[in-house]
Amino acid sequence: MNYPVWYLPGIGGGLLVAIIAIVHVFISHFAVGGGLYLVFAERKGIREKSRAILEFTRSHAKFFLLMTVVAGGVTGVAIWFIISLVHPGATSLLIHIFVFGWATEWVFFLVEIIAIFVYFYTFGKMDDRTHQAIGWIYFLAAWFSLFLINGIIDFMLAPGFWLEHPSFWSGFFNPVFWPSLLFRTAVACMFAGVYAFLTTAFLKDEATRRSMTGFSGKWVLVSYVAAIPCGIWYYASIPSQARALIAGSSPTIQRALLAGFWSLVVLAVLTLILVIGKPARLSRPLALFVFLSAFVFMGAFEWSREAARRPYVINGLMYSNGILLAEVPMLQRSGFLPVARWATQKELHEESLMDAGRELFIFQCYACHTIGGVNNDILARTKGMSYPAMRGYLRKLHENRYFMPPFAGNDAEARALAVFIVKGLQGKEVAEGAGISGGAGRTLFESECAACHDEEHIRSRTAGWDRARIRKGLDKLSALNPGMPDFSGSEDEKGLLADFIVSLNRPQKGASAAGRDHGEEVFEANCSMCHTLRGGGNPLLPKVAGWDRQRIRQALDMLDKLRGGVMPPLNAPPADKDALTAFLVAAQQGGSK
Amino acid sequence: MNPLIPTPDTLPVSWGYFQSLLMLMFPLHLLLMNAMLGCAALSLYALMKGGETDKRLAHELAKALPFLIAFAINFGVAALLFLQVIYGNFFYASSVLMAVFWLSVPLILLIAYYAAYLYDFRFAALEAGGKWLAAMVLAIFLAVAFFFTNNMTLMLEPHRWTAYFRNPGGTVLNAGSAAMWPRYLHFVTGGLAMGGLFVALYGRFKGRRDPELGARAVGLGMNLFTGLTLLQILIGLWFLVSLPSTVMRLFLGDSGTATVLFAVGVTLALAALGAGFKRRVVLSATLAIPLVFVMTFLRDVVRSGYLEPFFSPETLRVAPEYSPLLLFVVTLMAGVATIVWMLRKTALINRNGV
Repeated sequence: MNYPVWYLPGIGGGLLVAIIAIVHVFISHFAVGGGLYLVFAERKGIREKSRAILEFTRSHAKFFLLMTVVAGGVTGVAIWFIISLVHPGATSLLIHIFVFGWATEWVFFLVEIIAIFVYFYTFGKMDDRTHQAIGWIYFLAAWFSLFLINGIIDFMLAPGFWLEHPSFWSGFFNPVFWPSLLFRTAVACMFAGVYAFLTTAFLKDEATRRSMTGFSGKWVLVSYVAAIPCGIWYYASIPSQARALIAGSSPTIQRALLAGFWSLVVLAVLTLILVIGKPARLSRPLALFVFLSAFVFMGAFEWSREAARRPYVINGLMYSNGILLAEVPMLQRSGFLPVARWATQKELHEESLMDAGRELFIFQCYACHTIGGVNNDILARTKGMSYPAMRGYLRKLHENRYFMPPFAGNDAEARALAVFIVKGLQGKEVAEGAGISGGAGRTLFESECAACHDEEHIRSRTAGWDRARIRKGLDKLSALNPGMPDFSGSEDEKGLLADFIVSLNRPQKGASAAGRDHGEEVFEANCSMCHTLRGGGNPLLPKVAGWDRQRIRQALDMLDKLRGGVMPPLNAPPADKDALTAFLVAAQQGGSK
Repeated sequence: MNPLIPTPDTLPVSWGYFQSLLMLMFPLHLLLMNAMLGCAALSLYALMKGGETDKRLAHELAKALPFLIAFAINFGVAALLFLQVIYGNFFYASSVLMAVFWLSVPLILLIAYYAAYLYDFRFAALEAGGKWLAAMVLAIFLAVAFFFTNNMTLMLEPHRWTAYFRNPGGTVLNAGSAAMWPRYLHFVTGGLAMGGLFVALYGRFKGRRDPELGARAVGLGMNLFTGLTLLQILIGLWFLVSLPSTVMRLFLGDSGTATVLFAVGVTLALAALGAGFKRRVVLSATLAIPLVFVMTFLRDVVRSGYLEPFFSPETLRVAPEYSPLLLFVVTLMAGVATIVWMLRKTALINRNGV
């Protein structure tokens, strides 16, 4: 709320960050492990007095230089640029807290560049001992770069002690620092072998190709095995909420983990084929597939790490949308728009409600949601929600879905945001006054379930279930699926929701007929003293012409507020109102006289 | 106070440390960037001339280009870091406004960087294609400079930030600002002139082994340096008068320090130009390198002048923590020692011709 938002509704900043970050991280880990690989490959060539191995090392050093200094260096700058554009507030905090960490990392970056230039351009011209020392200097500088960046990145995931005692060191040596450093070092060495396969596959000399493919394979396999305990330690060290998201609460992480798992399986199998079989003709496609699976693994890992930090960009300090955790109570009390520097709608008015809602969307939701884009599309997420459902949903955003930040605004602003999403984005009618409490099962379904499930999905998943089983399931949703938050509604609400879910599996025709029969009774008992359906003195159907089911149902909850308050309220149970609604809808379609 | 200006974050040490580091790193970045620009421009020019010596010179400059890009980026990172610490709240806001162009900077730079390597490694094989490649590299450098000038001016003019409300998609440029174009031309002309001087110095160094090539490099480089520095007198004046009057007057007596710096800068520029006309390459460089530092200080005066109504770095909050500064200083010293050792070992090979 301190900074403007770069607004690309169909793309979303998060996707741009992910693309650039994954490419950079895939190269930068190679930049660390690959340096050590060069030193050992050169040593192997010297010990075995093999000109072919030394020539391979020189040509791999050229590939390494072009990949890491050019693409690695510039994509590193690109990450810095993109995070400052998408998360300017968080970038500013990280720059200010860790400025001398970044500055120290810059020194290592400088040493790295000079060392790799010297290493490559003096290959074969310098005495072996000094040349290998230059290789070691490169590797150590690259590893210390990782050491420093690792501390800052992990701070974002687990600030730990820093939250109580902010200092450079308490943030840097956070709870995830050491396991992450070891894990990344192992991955870096694994990537050294993975990238080397690409060079070995193009070796013309068969004996050298076999020798260096085997050598590179050992780097992959040993590091692969070493990464497993490091990964487990890493997982155990992250905050419990992040662990819960990885363990199943977040569908997007589940997809990434699945991709990561299979990419690791493919990587291991193909590496074994390369190392054991050393197939001559297949070595190039195999090397390429190993490379691609390593890329998918890195992407899955980075995606999961970033996603597990939600709803924060810096855990426990700043939400993904740049709002500080500490500011939320004040914003919920006094409102967000008046203090958001880059908002134009400082006051809420009925005529500009949609504009205010749009600004609230941009400042609070757009950090994670696109409009019609591939990443976390708000249109798909809110398709099944009515206005009252959205109002209820916004009230319990963070409670129901931990990985979403709470709505940081007052009730009037929540209303504006709901209007923007429901009317502005979904094009649905907005009817005030129909609240969640005591509302029908459908309304509860929309506010509690529709963000993830549409009716058809729930209908098919509960086909054959009786009401008791559905009702019991609602007591412990996380037992059905670890990814689902438990439903925190009252006993009555659970009953209504269960009734609604049961009704989804009733034969539609029969249900309509039943609804219409009972609805006709309700109509006769409550309405017919003043209204007919058609014709007569006060026909009802012309008054609700063009109204959909939802609007009619909502109107039945607020009859005393319609038409200047001349009608009495409809004192009937929700089920009766549902039946009356079905009757009126059927009558609109010509089903009743 | 402009309500759009974001609240700055807290510093770990006094702003003066960052200011000193910025005033050290930025001129080093400028020198490297100028050399890079000059190499690209003169390599292209020499290649287009097409003589045997010119071709050799074009190739020699092509070889230098990737190194210069690497170090220009590296020192640019350091300068940008210290800029963000002091002026981050202005810089991030202006960057978001022109996000599409700003993000394109590293992406097109990546293309230029690989193109420069291709130009170097495949120089002979490229033939006519080399001209197009070098032209593309030069065009990208000029485009990057254009985007930087836009951002560096936009961050100083918060009253122009309201453009965001008409265009939140990140395609705002500061082309409507009176100072943007003269500033861009001032920096590009100065950069190319200094680049010419770098090529001349390179020629003086190379001339020991290859006098013909050396003489050609000195000739081309010094022509570029003197010609553009003469032109700079006009562009510099245009830039000066395009500044808001309160800022301009700082150099004309309102601020003693700024006025003295300005006088020193003009004197150094005229002296370097005089030495340039006499083809005194080393003397020109000896005068021009401190000139780049003085120009950086003048640029900083301009920045402070623009921001004076809204911001002063002295007002930034400080939560003192000096140990990370110590970590940086110790690492920097160790890093410089390591670099010196590596370069000495490399020089030894070149000297011994191993």
